[in-house]
Amino acid sequence: MTMAATSHDTPVETAAPSTRRQPDRTYWLLAPGVLWMLLFLVAPILMMVYVSFWTQTTFKIEPTLTLKSWITFFSSDTYLGALWTTVRIWLIVLVSTLLVGYPAALFVGLFVKNKTLSTALLVLCVIPFWTSFLIRVLAWRPMLGKEGAINMILMKLGIVTQPIEVLLFSELSVIIGMTQIYCVFMVGPIAFMLGRIDPSVIEAAQDLGASFWRIFRTIILPLSMPGVVVGAIFVSVMVLGEFATSAALSGRKVNLLGNIIVTQVGSLKWAFAAVAGVVLTILMGAVVAALLRVVDLRKEL
Amino acid sequence: MSAVLQLKNVHKAFAGVPALAGVDAALMDNSYVSLLGPSGSGKTTLLRVIAGFEQPDGGEILFAGRRIDGVPPHERGIGFVFQNFALFPHLSVAQNIAFGLENRAVAPVTDAKAVTARVRDMIGLVGLTGLEDRAVTQISGGQKQRVALARTLVTEPSMVLLDEPLGALDANLRTRMRGELRTIRERCGVTFLHVTGSETEALAMGDTVLVLDRGRIAQATDAGTLYSRPASADVARFLNCYNIFSGAVSGNVFESPVGRLALGGVRQASGRPAYAIRYDRVAIRPRDAAAAGDEVRIEASFVASEYSGAAINSFFTLDDGRVFEVETHLSHAAPEAFEEKARYALVWKREDALVFV
Amino acid sequence: MNASGIKLGLGLYTTLFIVFLYGPLVVLAILSFQTGPEGGPQFPIIEWSTYWYKHLFGLTPPSRIAPLPIEQALVRSLALAVMTMIVSTVLGVTAAQAFRKKFRGSGVVFYLIVLGMMVPGVLVGLGMALVANTLGVDRHWWGTAFVLHVVYTFPFAFLVMLAIFNRFDPSVEEAAWSLGVTPARTFRKITFPLIFPGVLSAMLFAFTLSYDEFSRTLFASGRDLTLPLAIYGTFSVEVHPNVFAFGVLTTLFSFALLGTYAVLMGLSVRRAKRMAIQEEA
Repeated sequence: MTMAATSHDTPVETAAPSTRRQPDRTYWLLAPGVLWMLLFLVAPILMMVYVSFWTQTTFKIEPTLTLKSWITFFSSDTYLGALWTTVRIWLIVLVSTLLVGYPAALFVGLFVKNKTLSTALLVLCVIPFWTSFLIRVLAWRPMLGKEGAINMILMKLGIVTQPIEVLLFSELSVIIGMTQIYCVFMVGPIAFMLGRIDPSVIEAAQDLGASFWRIFRTIILPLSMPGVVVGAIFVSVMVLGEFATSAALSGRKVNLLGNIIVTQVGSLKWAFAAVAGVVLTILMGAVVAALLRVVDLRKEL
Repeated sequence: MSAVLQLKNVHKAFAGVPALAGVDAALMDNSYVSLLGPSGSGKTTLLRVIAGFEQPDGGEILFAGRRIDGVPPHERGIGFVFQNFALFPHLSVAQNIAFGLENRAVAPVTDAKAVTARVRDMIGLVGLTGLEDRAVTQISGGQKQRVALARTLVTEPSMVLLDEPLGALDANLRTRMRGELRTIRERCGVTFLHVTGSETEALAMGDTVLVLDRGRIAQATDAGTLYSRPASADVARFLNCYNIFSGAVSGNVFESPVGRLALGGVRQASGRPAYAIRYDRVAIRPRDAAAAGDEVRIEASFVASEYSGAAINSFFTLDDGRVFEVETHLSHAAPEAFEEKARYALVWKREDALVFV
Repeated sequence: MNASGIKLGLGLYTTLFIVFLYGPLVVLAILSFQTGPEGGPQFPIIEWSTYWYKHLFGLTPPSRIAPLPIEQALVRSLALAVMTMIVSTVLGVTAAQAFRKKFRGSGVVFYLIVLGMMVPGVLVGLGMALVANTLGVDRHWWGTAFVLHVVYTFPFAFLVMLAIFNRFDPSVEEAAWSLGVTPARTFRKITFPLIFPGVLSAMLFAFTLSYDEFSRTLFASGRDLTLPLAIYGTFSVEVHPNVFAFGVLTTLFSFALLGTYAVLMGLSVRRAKRMAIQEEA
């Protein structure tokens, strides 16, 4: 027999076992990234909160703590107006990206059975992202302007006799621009969730004589909800932090919190800018938290 | 011969669920050891603990007299052949085999000629000549298996761990590779620890067979002994060639669900009483045939037969509904035709049965 | 239920949707060929010309329309994008490598990293400007703006690499260790070549995101403009078709970049496919 029960008293040369090396390595690998984020992401945000309590004089700020900037913010019609505009534009764009994007997602994710075609359609949606964001925003000016493409077409078709002026440099143009730029972030996640629906479930429902509307309400819509929430988070985070689209397309008529921050920084009113920044952070945190409440993402994905 | 690997009370749990519950074993130098265990018995965990991919929670692992638990895998000098081969997909056959020689931390071979020569020898040994420059994605399963083996053996480890090395091959190839693995091992003089879930593979290949059951070594012996004298009813069950009854010994009989079975053979202590009779020790007789004095007899109804090469396996239903299997070697007699659902007497010698008390 | 009718309707709608996505860009491209310098950024096209493209490169006689300050800005933007790409890819690969093992606090670290792509640029930009002011550090595109670009692109690189490592078979690494090769050398010789397509994607992400970034850069870059800032500067003034011509050129540049990436990826995918076919045969 080649096998022997081992006795526990065999003398052995004991090498000092260097146990548990692995966790250390994990922390070393993480350290640079975590440090970077703490220094250049967390610290600036905390600094912003801190500075919002500093004392603002005409051209500089002093680290004397005060609530003055906060009081100014909440007693100023301009700032409160900007807060309201931000919320309003955000809600409208959220709804419009959903309305505009959902049918397209439905087509790409559920109705196109050909895998290549659906991939091609999604790629087609993503290609514009390879153009500069600012250029895409700017591209709406020749579209919506008084002598722009839309007015020109409408007049040629005889639908209107006078160019519609409200198309550009208005809240409408900001909403149209944002809807176009952000709706793809809605289409992607929804199409992804719809693509995971087992077609046989829908076929079975059809065989039982359910109408499309009923199938949509009872099967398709609930199953696509996680996609809607993910899309809504994307769109919300981006729209709430916006200032470029309104700067380019509203002709200073639409002032979002982002625009307030930009102007305040431009005139060196750092404390006011910081207050607007903190308000924006809180607003965004609340929106994202609320959206995550609607659907438990970890469970769904 | 001396022990190349010793395991002492090795423990490992995953999230509180024990996978290894105190493994003790010693593997002799220059031998072929099979590690047999059902799925979930912890055999892959044991292999990964020996290789150093997992840290044991407790116990000692001694390799060539040196304690290696806590030593990182690349300092252990233990080869590993994966079930999925884990070849380096971006390297050719020859580059795969040369990889360890060129890149190891201890004594790397830097002379390109020396590397080429050793790789060539190894390719010859495992029978891959002519495939040197193929991509490893371009060769068959059996060839991948050989590359995996060659890649390990060329670094001259004193032990190689093989995790179900034949599991990914088809049946024909598996049989052929069994013989080749043994031949290659003999030529290299290393110890192979071959993990398998197949009892035939374990018995065919191992000089020693370790049976792992619920995180412990249930038996460690040579194939012949294991086959005829399993140490417990559980081991007997893994061997897949015993009919096993539970029950209790009372005096000279074993009280089983199918009746009282007279005892005659050896009794082994195992903790759980059981009665086991090997498939090929049972004779099938007409119902009216009487049993001899040293025989045990039960009755059962015939269900079906199944050919397996030189033997035929017949299945019967006992009175308690359980299936009883009988293996008849065709060299002994021409196959008999049994009538479905008819009752037959199943008879064996008292001393052929294993009794666990 | 009339499934084919609904499908047809949705198909038509999707076509309109694509037109909606592309329309403005097409109009912009058409108008970039407006005659200059008197032609404005609107229809009708008075005369087709490449005047505004020449204008971009300073090849036209001086006119009242100042040329876009793109030359310096382009160099800065490219340099910034390359720096960001390298650093965020390295950080992304190392962090994702760490995440292959379970460790305590992984949830917190994950969210900390992902936060970088969620927090709006205007907020981090403002915060960074405040930090720089307080510390008395000058703001530069290669300093304060660069670190913010990495904050933004590192999460993308990290997520890409996380997905790549999810599909990575760790047994090839274990195989290398068992041959006596150190983990560091294993990473260099085995892991890295195998995850390289993923690294390429992470690099592409980081480069393009950084190249197009402006809201963080706006507050953090100080005096010198990057390319997006130069475009942003035109928002408040009258827009001329030279901006459109510039838009067309940057788009072409992006496509060239995408094409390079596609070719590189295609090569490795085709190699894998060719092998798979031969294996089947």
